[in-house]
Amino acid sequence: MMVELLLLIQRRSSIVFRVTFILSVVLRFMRLAYLIGYGVEIEKSPVNSASLSMLSWPKPATWPSIPPDSSAEVMAKEKTILQAKAREKLFDIQRKPLPLEPSSLLREANRRRAFLSVGNLSELYDSVDGSGLGAHSKLSPNKSSSNLMTRTMSGPATSETSLPVDRPMRLSEIHVAAEHALKQTISDPDFMTSLSSPEEFESRYMELTKGAADNYHRSWWKRHGVVLDGEIAAIFFKHGNYDLAAKSYEKVCALYSAEGWEELLADVLPDLAECQKILKDEAGYLASCVKLLSLESSLFSSKERQAFQSEVVRLAHSEMRHPVPLDVSSLITFAGNPAPPLELCDGDPGTLSVAVWSGFPDDITLESLSLRLSAFSSADEGLKAIRSTDARVLVPGRNIITFDIPPQKPGSYVLGALTGQIGKLSFRSHGFSQDGPVDTDEFMSFEKPTRPVLKVRKPRALVDITPAVSSALLMNELQWIGLIVKPIDYSLKGGILHIDAGAELKIEESQMIEIESYRSDGEHSSPIDASKVLSRPTDTGRVEKVPIENGKIKLPDWASDVTTLVWFPVRAINDTVPKGTSPASPQKHSIVDGMRMIALKLEFGAFHNQIFERTIAVHFTNPFHVSTRVVDKCNDGTLLLQVILHSEVKATLHVKDVSLDLQAGFEHLGKGDGRPTSSLFPLVIAPSSKAGILFVIRLSGTKDLDELEQADSMLHIKYGISGDRATGAHSPVPVKPDDSEELLFKISLKLKRPVLDPCLAVGFLPFSTDCLRVGQLVNMKWRVERLKDLEEASLSDDEILYQVDANPQNWMVAGRKSGHISFSEAQGSRIEIAVTCVPLVSGYVHPPQLGLPDVGDANISCNPAGPHLVCVLPPTLSTSYCIPA
Amino acid sequence: MSDMASTACFVIVSKNDIPIYDAEVGSAPKKEDQAYQHQFILHAALDVVQDLAWATSAMFLKSVDRFNDLVVSVYVTAGHTRFMLLHDSRSEDGIKSFFQEVHELYIKIFLNPLYLPGSRITSSHFNTKVRALARKYL
Repeated sequence: MMVELLLLIQRRSSIVFRVTFILSVVLRFMRLAYLIGYGVEIEKSPVNSASLSMLSWPKPATWPSIPPDSSAEVMAKEKTILQAKAREKLFDIQRKPLPLEPSSLLREANRRRAFLSVGNLSELYDSVDGSGLGAHSKLSPNKSSSNLMTRTMSGPATSETSLPVDRPMRLSEIHVAAEHALKQTISDPDFMTSLSSPEEFESRYMELTKGAADNYHRSWWKRHGVVLDGEIAAIFFKHGNYDLAAKSYEKVCALYSAEGWEELLADVLPDLAECQKILKDEAGYLASCVKLLSLESSLFSSKERQAFQSEVVRLAHSEMRHPVPLDVSSLITFAGNPAPPLELCDGDPGTLSVAVWSGFPDDITLESLSLRLSAFSSADEGLKAIRSTDARVLVPGRNIITFDIPPQKPGSYVLGALTGQIGKLSFRSHGFSQDGPVDTDEFMSFEKPTRPVLKVRKPRALVDITPAVSSALLMNELQWIGLIVKPIDYSLKGGILHIDAGAELKIEESQMIEIESYRSDGEHSSPIDASKVLSRPTDTGRVEKVPIENGKIKLPDWASDVTTLVWFPVRAINDTVPKGTSPASPQKHSIVDGMRMIALKLEFGAFHNQIFERTIAVHFTNPFHVSTRVVDKCNDGTLLLQVILHSEVKATLHVKDVSLDLQAGFEHLGKGDGRPTSSLFPLVIAPSSKAGILFVIRLSGTKDLDELEQADSMLHIKYGISGDRATGAHSPVPVKPDDSEELLFKISLKLKRPVLDPCLAVGFLPFSTDCLRVGQLVNMKWRVERLKDLEEASLSDDEILYQVDANPQNWMVAGRKSGHISFSEAQGSRIEIAVTCVPLVSGYVHPPQLGLPDVGDANISCNPAGPHLVCVLPPTLSTSYCIPA
Repeated sequence: MSDMASTACFVIVSKNDIPIYDAEVGSAPKKEDQAYQHQFILHAALDVVQDLAWATSAMFLKSVDRFNDLVVSVYVTAGHTRFMLLHDSRSEDGIKSFFQEVHELYIKIFLNPLYLPGSRITSSHFNTKVRALARKYL
């Protein structure tokens, strides 16, 4: 009947009327049930407490008294009351049970007893006062029963009680009395059946509650609806219908959790957890336990929280059928260092320390812990997972964990998620928190941390090695080569420098390498700058000698962060003898000849993973470049030879002695020891300047032309050099202690004999006639003169062959074309050669030439020179050639 | 002058139905179970408020629900933030003034650019002020 009524109301009424009516129906039903002792069936939940509070006990004028012969019923009720105990909650959560009635039934009922007087009624109930079932179930009816109250009532006194007048009713008696009274008043059979037994009551209660919940949901009072769902869940639970109970509990928990009312959630969630445990819903149970742990710690005692944690750990270590990942974002939070981000160079590993807060009440062992870093620019997450050490124990509160970071790509990184394993379960935490006093629990704002925690620089130059000296060094001598090793914001600690000399270059490994701290020129210019001096107290031109082995130098530790100069001795080898230049043989000097390559490789870095490679070119040169010049040629054939020494180095050269070994065909005049004319040694030649030395020589006779062509003169220079290795060439490194400072330089010079060496002069004597005519005889005369004595000249014969060359088409030679002539061997002797010729054509023609075939062209001087062209006039008109017709 | 409410529970609920501030501002010492029950009452009262709030244009909704002898009074701000007070005193004017003053304090919190709207109010200054206002008006 009631249900039908409910349905009727649903269809016809407004929301407000509906809900209030329904609620009042349910409440009155519950109140009645309480009255007759079914209160134990009703769960002591907040909703019931609240609901029942709105409805007070019935207030009859006179409380019905106990019917006679009801002692058995009384006993039964008594038993029920005593057996009632609060439902045990999972995890031994103890909560004070809520009051379900605004005032004790006992008090209310007894107040209305007809035969009790009012008076010191209040005294009787001082001890009984207040809230809590604990009071009424423990109540001893015999307590302070000496104070009897009588109540002045206006109603008639009844005398149908069998109770002694001086005792208030016990609760069980009250229940029985009420039940009987009700039974007499209630006419509806349905209603009667529902109040007849606890089970019937319960089923009716369930019906009504479901109806109320549905109505609430339909009215969009979802909170009320969900709360009643919780009541239904409690009943299901009591009946062992755990599946449905769990579903209903889930609804309640979902609402409280979504709206963030943690206290309310803390009340219901253990019930849900219990259902899940019974149903063996491991995933759900685990999630509930984790949620319980993440609630505010003030809502549970530490013992209870420890119980939650032990459940989680137990499940994590057990064999779960379907292992689920845990989200512990509110339990385990992490934050980076408040310090500036860790900066690494490309390719370097490092260590990052992260603060991790554990919200667990006890220490918890993590099987593994990994941190994910995500690149700041891209939205990719989970790219890089970095493991920390295994089997960590997190204590409650702050833990500092260091992670070893492998080399990463360049970029900025922020903290991503923390993952790891508890037992067999993997967990993940997105919870980012601030390091320092945590003053917010922002459960609704999981902002991504924007502060980068790691910065990996783009690959950049970490070190620079440059040669210290750009000018040339001495060839074939042991010289220092300097390298400026400059670290660029990076420590070179433990660095090893490999030096690989190229061809024709040899590193002298017997010598020690000198490493000194380097001061750039800027500092040298202001030595009195006190601030600069003070800023580097240790930088006092420190020099250290280290050995070199197989081309490897280990950099000392003090050199890790400062610019240093590394000096190592090398010898450039050039076996070819240098050649001097003269006007006849110009310089073909190539810069490549003196260049040598050195390959450098520096291995450094925190984990020896950085490599710097460079090949440098070093220039070597001979100390002198020599050029020769014939200054003057005397009449007697003496030549003044000027030898010019060009200094090729940026150092001062001290020439101690010079000697010239002349080639064949030349010889010295004077002392003949090959030394120059004047003694001006030691000769100091400033850097890049030149000096000249004079030799007096002359040509000597020799017949061997081949020897003449291939011979070279050799210039020997003994010199010394004073230079600074930091500037350029310098005095060679003494390898053995008795090495002298005197150096020897040899250079070959090619002196060419004069090309022209006239021994004979051939001259053309002028024509006897002015004009030449075709057909007219003409006498051609040449005069040959000996210029040198026969012994000095290269000609040995005194008979000279002559030959007249003429173009046969233009000239007809009448006379001897060739023949021998002999004339005196003395210088200046002459002889004339005459040949008669007839020109055949007119015009400008080449005349006949006199040649001396056996005499080299170099030995003939045509002086005066013969005509190049002669003018031949046409023949005179002649009648003798006319032929009469 | 009405005497001080012995029980009073004040909660500020944001427009997302999440409590961002709560305080027991009554003069009686705090009882654990009762405090919990207060939370429950106020949470359930939200349902009632969600209907009543749109029925009137006033901010102060007076009392919307009842529990025993405690009454729930609600004040809705323009941004649909609800100030809910569970109390046992009867002076409506006092409660209205209390709400208005707390509203001003709340606006000042919002003016803080570092405050994330919808997050819990943790300022101890705000806390002190609210309690002082409760002592004054309730």
